[in-house]
Amino acid sequence: MEQTEVVKPETLEDLIKILHKIFESDCINVEEVQNIMEAYESNPNEWMKYAMFDQYRYTRNLVDEGNGKFNLMILCWGEGHGSSIHDHTDSHCFMKLLQGQLKETLFEWPEGKSQGDMVQKSQRILQENKVAYINDSIGLHRVENVSHTEGAVSLHLYSPPFDTCQTFDQRTGHKNRVKMTFWSKYGDRTPFETTVSQENN
Amino acid sequence: MENQEGAAAVGDGVLDFSRLSLSTLNVDSISDERKRDTRLLHLNYNRLASLPSSVSLFFNLEFLDISNNGLSAICEGITRLSKLKTLIAKNNRLDEFSLPKEFGCLPLEVLNFSGNRFEEIPLQCVKLPRLQSLSIGGNRLKSIPAEIENLTSLEMLYLGGNLISAIPPEVANLPYLSYLVLCDNRIQSVPPQLTRLHSLRSLSLHNNLLTYLPREILSLVHLQELSLRGNPLVVRFVKEMTYDPPSLLELAGRTIKSRNIPYYPQDLPSNLLRYLDLASKCPNPKCAGVYFDSCVRHIKFVDFCGKYRLPLMHYLCSPECTSPCSSNPQSDAESEDENSVPTDRLQRVLLG
Repeated sequence: MEQTEVVKPETLEDLIKILHKIFESDCINVEEVQNIMEAYESNPNEWMKYAMFDQYRYTRNLVDEGNGKFNLMILCWGEGHGSSIHDHTDSHCFMKLLQGQLKETLFEWPEGKSQGDMVQKSQRILQENKVAYINDSIGLHRVENVSHTEGAVSLHLYSPPFDTCQTFDQRTGHKNRVKMTFWSKYGDRTPFETTVSQENN
Repeated sequence: MENQEGAAAVGDGVLDFSRLSLSTLNVDSISDERKRDTRLLHLNYNRLASLPSSVSLFFNLEFLDISNNGLSAICEGITRLSKLKTLIAKNNRLDEFSLPKEFGCLPLEVLNFSGNRFEEIPLQCVKLPRLQSLSIGGNRLKSIPAEIENLTSLEMLYLGGNLISAIPPEVANLPYLSYLVLCDNRIQSVPPQLTRLHSLRSLSLHNNLLTYLPREILSLVHLQELSLRGNPLVVRFVKEMTYDPPSLLELAGRTIKSRNIPYYPQDLPSNLLRYLDLASKCPNPKCAGVYFDSCVRHIKFVDFCGKYRLPLMHYLCSPECTSPCSSNPQSDAESEDENSVPTDRLQRVLLG
């Protein structure tokens, strides 16, 4: 495997360029991507135009389509907003905190037909600029902004891109496939897409 | 550093004095013109221990942010800001004694006191006639006052992260309420009157002490988001149904009502007439029964949008009064036709 020099991305645009290069190859070095994303120091002036908050729930705002190799998006979490427990449809998922903090709770996949509370594996609070990684073999997770005073903003990279995932009921392990939609794309609000969203949060 | 006028961002009626380590607000160096034209004043992230009365010199102010200071009081002077629409005062040391008496006269539309030390919602706050958005998250509130119903313009009420143990039914009297956040509290039950909140679009109840929900919640037609995680919701069918056998009075009352036996005021003492008026109809539509005091609390598992099993509480006239669709009333895999909600009614159930 080639050793790539860890170049520090100075700006968000820089980071996107570097990611495009890294994802030219079909082989993903998870650590490399995590380090590159972590090395970018969040600068709100660079991402503010994508950070559209909604009063009622968290929003997904597409930033870059990575030449079809990945989706890069910014998620905005108002006070108390959280996601359902979900999987990542066989893709890599990287999540970087750009502002505020997010709580990530990991769960085991529910076993077969068993109908009981899902098993929690671990929980952590992610700090600004930190990058978390997950894929289906690691498990499932729920992400929440538990602050009652501050919003949170996170940068997500999914490779390969996907637009459906499964959501899980914590009390029973029941699962349900849902379609995911974008609140905005490239800084422009995309309302018609959102009204048919079935995402279960 | 007290270099204020120079540090402020210029233009558009915005004065940005945030993050300047200010412990006082000296406005002498600010021109009268500037004072008159300022619409938005940012004083967040400073070291103000109290809101200086000099703020009232910005007499056309519409937006004031005093978050993240050390404020333990808000001065009387603020009530002179006759155009103030938005006040953000997060992360300070304010409590219900910190507000001036005439605070309720301000034309505020947005008020945010999250991250303070309120143990009660002060009466001045529920007097604000134009208030659309009220946030008192992350405080020490033990209850919600019934006077909350006076906020007739309220659309958003954020009370997450407090010590609230009950929701007063008066919350249901807020006709425009569309976002109600009560997560991270100590709430044990939801009053069925909330079904009157026809505008409610999002209800956040996660991390409370709920074991069931009232069946009336199904009538919230515009509800799109409902979060219930972190509640001890009953999962398995409650097999032990406690039932107090009915009294003779109740049995007689039931017979009269269910067989439509006629009675006239001259036949019965007034206390019995009143009692007969209290009959409740058994919610099971296939049962013509009635009950007075003696009923069975029954937790029904309703298939919510075809995805989840939500325990809903309702009353039956007797343990024999079973759900019409099930052959085995003790199964929790049933889904009642009478209770199933069309999928488009509730698009996002924030359980998980």
